[in-house]
Amino acid sequence: MPKEIIMPKFGFTQEESEILEWLNEEGDKVEKGDPIAVVSTDKISMEVEAPETGILSGIRYQIGDLVPVTEIIAYILQPGEKLPETEKKTEKKSGESKKIIEKAGKSATPIAKKLIEEKSLDINDITGTGEKGKITKTDVEIFLAKKKGFTGKINATPAARRIGAEENVSLSEIVGSGPDSRIQAGDVHKKILSSTKTVTGSDIPIVRTIPLIGMRKTIAQNMQRSMQEAPHMTLQIDIPMDALEKMRKEINSEQGKKSERVSLTAFITKAVALSLKRNPILNSQYSEKEIKILGKIHVGIATALDDGLIVPVIHNADQKEVRLISKEINDLAERARNAKLKPEDLSNGTFTISNLGMFEIDRFTAIINPPQTAILAVGKMNRYLIPADNDILAIQKIISFNLSADHRVMDGAQAAKFLSDLKSIILEPKVLLK
Amino acid sequence: MAKVKIEEQLIGGEFGRKKAEDLLYKMVLTRTFEENALDMFARGKVHGTMHVSIGQEGIAAGAGPALNEGDYLLNTHRGHGHFLLWGGDLNRMMAEFLGKETGYCHGRGGSMHIADVDSNNLGAQGIVAGNLPISVGVGLSIKMRKTNQVVLTLFGDGAANEGAFHESLNMASIWNLPIIYLCENNQYAMSMAFERAFRIEQISDRASSYGMKGLTVDGNDVIAVHKAVREAAERARKGNGPTLIEAITYRYKGHSKSDRQLYRTREEVKKWMKKDPIKRFAKLLDVDEKMLKKIEEKAMEDIQKAVAFSEESPEPKISSIMEGIYA
Amino acid sequence: MRELSYMEALREAIQQAMEKDERVFLIGEDIGIYGGAFGVSAGLLEKFGPDRIIDTPISEAGIAGACVGSAVTGMRPIGEIQFSDFVVLAMEQLVMQGAKMRFMFGGKAELPFVIRLAGGSGTGAAAQHSQSLENWFVHVPGLKVVMPSSPYDAKGLLLSAIEENNPVMFFEHKLLYKTKGDVPEDMYTIPLGKSKVVREGKDLSVIATSIMVSRSIEAAEILLKEGIELEVIDPRTLKPLDEEPITASVKKTGKALIVHEAVKTGGFGGEISAVIMESDAFGYLDAPIRRLAGLDMPIPYNRTLEHHAVPQVEDIVEEARKLIKGVY
Repeated sequence: MPKEIIMPKFGFTQEESEILEWLNEEGDKVEKGDPIAVVSTDKISMEVEAPETGILSGIRYQIGDLVPVTEIIAYILQPGEKLPETEKKTEKKSGESKKIIEKAGKSATPIAKKLIEEKSLDINDITGTGEKGKITKTDVEIFLAKKKGFTGKINATPAARRIGAEENVSLSEIVGSGPDSRIQAGDVHKKILSSTKTVTGSDIPIVRTIPLIGMRKTIAQNMQRSMQEAPHMTLQIDIPMDALEKMRKEINSEQGKKSERVSLTAFITKAVALSLKRNPILNSQYSEKEIKILGKIHVGIATALDDGLIVPVIHNADQKEVRLISKEINDLAERARNAKLKPEDLSNGTFTISNLGMFEIDRFTAIINPPQTAILAVGKMNRYLIPADNDILAIQKIISFNLSADHRVMDGAQAAKFLSDLKSIILEPKVLLK
Repeated sequence: MAKVKIEEQLIGGEFGRKKAEDLLYKMVLTRTFEENALDMFARGKVHGTMHVSIGQEGIAAGAGPALNEGDYLLNTHRGHGHFLLWGGDLNRMMAEFLGKETGYCHGRGGSMHIADVDSNNLGAQGIVAGNLPISVGVGLSIKMRKTNQVVLTLFGDGAANEGAFHESLNMASIWNLPIIYLCENNQYAMSMAFERAFRIEQISDRASSYGMKGLTVDGNDVIAVHKAVREAAERARKGNGPTLIEAITYRYKGHSKSDRQLYRTREEVKKWMKKDPIKRFAKLLDVDEKMLKKIEEKAMEDIQKAVAFSEESPEPKISSIMEGIYA
Repeated sequence: MRELSYMEALREAIQQAMEKDERVFLIGEDIGIYGGAFGVSAGLLEKFGPDRIIDTPISEAGIAGACVGSAVTGMRPIGEIQFSDFVVLAMEQLVMQGAKMRFMFGGKAELPFVIRLAGGSGTGAAAQHSQSLENWFVHVPGLKVVMPSSPYDAKGLLLSAIEENNPVMFFEHKLLYKTKGDVPEDMYTIPLGKSKVVREGKDLSVIATSIMVSRSIEAAEILLKEGIELEVIDPRTLKPLDEEPITASVKKTGKALIVHEAVKTGGFGGEISAVIMESDAFGYLDAPIRRLAGLDMPIPYNRTLEHHAVPQVEDIVEEARKLIKGVY
């Protein structure tokens, strides 16, 4: 009798496993207990053992296949035995559906797959909301509910329809909680409550609408994407600015023209650039396959406009003199205000500094500007009474620096080092004049 | 052929001359009405069907006048004659026939359900023997109200075999109700001949099963019918209970318009036509054929007037469709 | 307020009506010295004599005909059909004559009669003595159909039926005869064609007739402990049906359960269901309308089978729970 080898269930809630490796080939002789395949569950990989001594035959799944637990993945045959008759047919079938799924590059849970096959749907039409865009049963149901022409009308109670009509809520987006996924009145109420749109008939007057186009749209999309995709880790450091301010004052007193004076921002920019040089992981880009450490340091300075935010870039900030940086910053700000920035002014930033100190903000958290992997939020310079090194209280000028870093790319220690290096540089500011 | 006990004819013994002439006219009117009705039906002017009593006019002529004003009538589906001889208005009857608003029943009843509740005519009956249990109620009512009324209840030979006949006559008997059960035995219940439906020779024999007085008369003899009904009414008014009178007669035409009459021969019909009640009564009054013809013409005139009246009368309004169901 | 049984309440109605109006009389089988098969007319023969309490032979057609004939000639009879099942013997007179005479005669003729019938199962009387046939008569234009559910309603509705100038089919339930309740002594009437909300609640509208009214109230008590509130409505008159309290209730609760003893298929529940669906309560329905009714079968003799052939309190509780929980 052919012995079935099934995909084992390793965990209570486990529904499927992915085949990572076949340790044997079709026709190999295996001993009972030999590991013949490696499969992975959510986090760990496990071995599948041969249940009997015999010949490994009728392998039904390949590397990369997601197999529902307790499904037959292969057989152990004794010499002279043949595979069960049904194998030939079912092999084709699973191969086909495998092909379909492989082709689409889309994955679905076994229950979802079953439903897709049952209803003869095209997996490409369905949006998956599971992990990595995996299609769940609910996704298929929502698709079916939307696809009126296929299933006929929407299954909803009269009360649900009436409320939907009165409150101008489309039933096609709702998955019902009633029998047969029937939409009930409660489901519609829930949808209304959870809806972020302003519902017509609301009694709050709308005084102005801002179309979500252009810069606003871009910012909205970028910021949303950044928050959704990059896990933001934030670290904060208070840095005394007295030494730097003293040095700056001295330099600027030598300057005649006001326009030639070096701003604090310029110094900070240079300090950031130098710290980036020492901590290149923060000067990087994230992609699904690899983290790219960048060879140039282009620091963007987030600049507020009347109706938005742009980030002009100081290219090669680590190499420019602080005086030049200051000039460039002023020039870019001027041109930004007059809407005269060129594309090259805004391109290729590798790191961003955002400063809300002029708005009285003590400290804040900024959102990373993709594809960058970190952003530094600079707060207002405040004066605190702090014990100095000799434990005597003294007034110090403190700025709170907040770093948001992408945890996919770096860990806490790396981000922390950037900040502590930044602090060291600012505390010994002479290095900024080089 | 059923054997019939023929009562002695009391020549003029029942009616005064004037009354008799009026009766003759009404008999002719009935027949003319029904022949005309048949004609109208053939021309597609009448909806539904009708049941003509051509040949049976003697019973209506004899029975009607035997009753007082205020007595009740429970009619059969073959009751145009009884209606007319009960003093029914020809115009309103014709209008009901044509389903008009001006008809006795405002067009709601038609031929089979013509009634004039105001004159205690409790209607023609669409269900054979359907009026028999009702007669029990009417009789009870008369007794309870202690009036001097009686109720004339007409039915055919076919009704005598319905269960309701049994229940009603029994109840009428045990409670001594003032009812005259007048059976128009015209030898056929639609296609069912009397001999095939009964083992007994006379329906009046059944009266004894209920302890009731029963007799059979020649239904085509107006005098005989009149005498029997008159006596039964007196009996009832005295509190001596119900009577079952069987009047033997014959219908010349089919049961209804759609009757092909395959169940009898032309010869049989012709034989009975020789005993025609109108001819016999006319003879009694010394009315010859010429005079009879004149009466027929007058009847036809009146009927044409009634037809004209009916044709000019309005149809019931559709908006009144649901009226008259509940009080 | 004194308590009377349903049977005593009916008797009092008949007695008071007969005392007031000499046109009223009672006619039926074994109603005289026997006092009626269920005791309703006990003592009436002594009070009114055999001319007004009329025993009949076993002749249902005759009884019905007697009612029709006497009603159309000025009397106000009450006919008793001993077991409602026997009404089949009287169908011709009731359906062909009593229901239609007024209409056929062009709106003339008044038929002010009441037919009282003892129906329902639960006494082991088996298939031919246990039916609920009220819906047959709902289907006949010209008749009115009434089903009292309590002693109070029985007296008030019967007095109204006797005063009604149309034929009324008055369906009593055998198991209710001995039930007791407060009944005023005066000649109060409950108008025909008026539904009543007998219990208020917010979760489910239960429309019940006859004995199912008290069973629904029992079920409501049980469910209240689970936090479920039933609203119970008794139509009282099936025809003409007072729709407004029913549809108003369904608008409030969004769910309806109809409970009657008569067989489900072709039963009155279908009528109420359609009435709700055709009304403006339709837009407030949040679940299918459910009917709980007699099984499609003759009533069996065996006690347990008989019990399960018709809805009981536990069935009402179960069905209500399911509706609330969204099983349907």
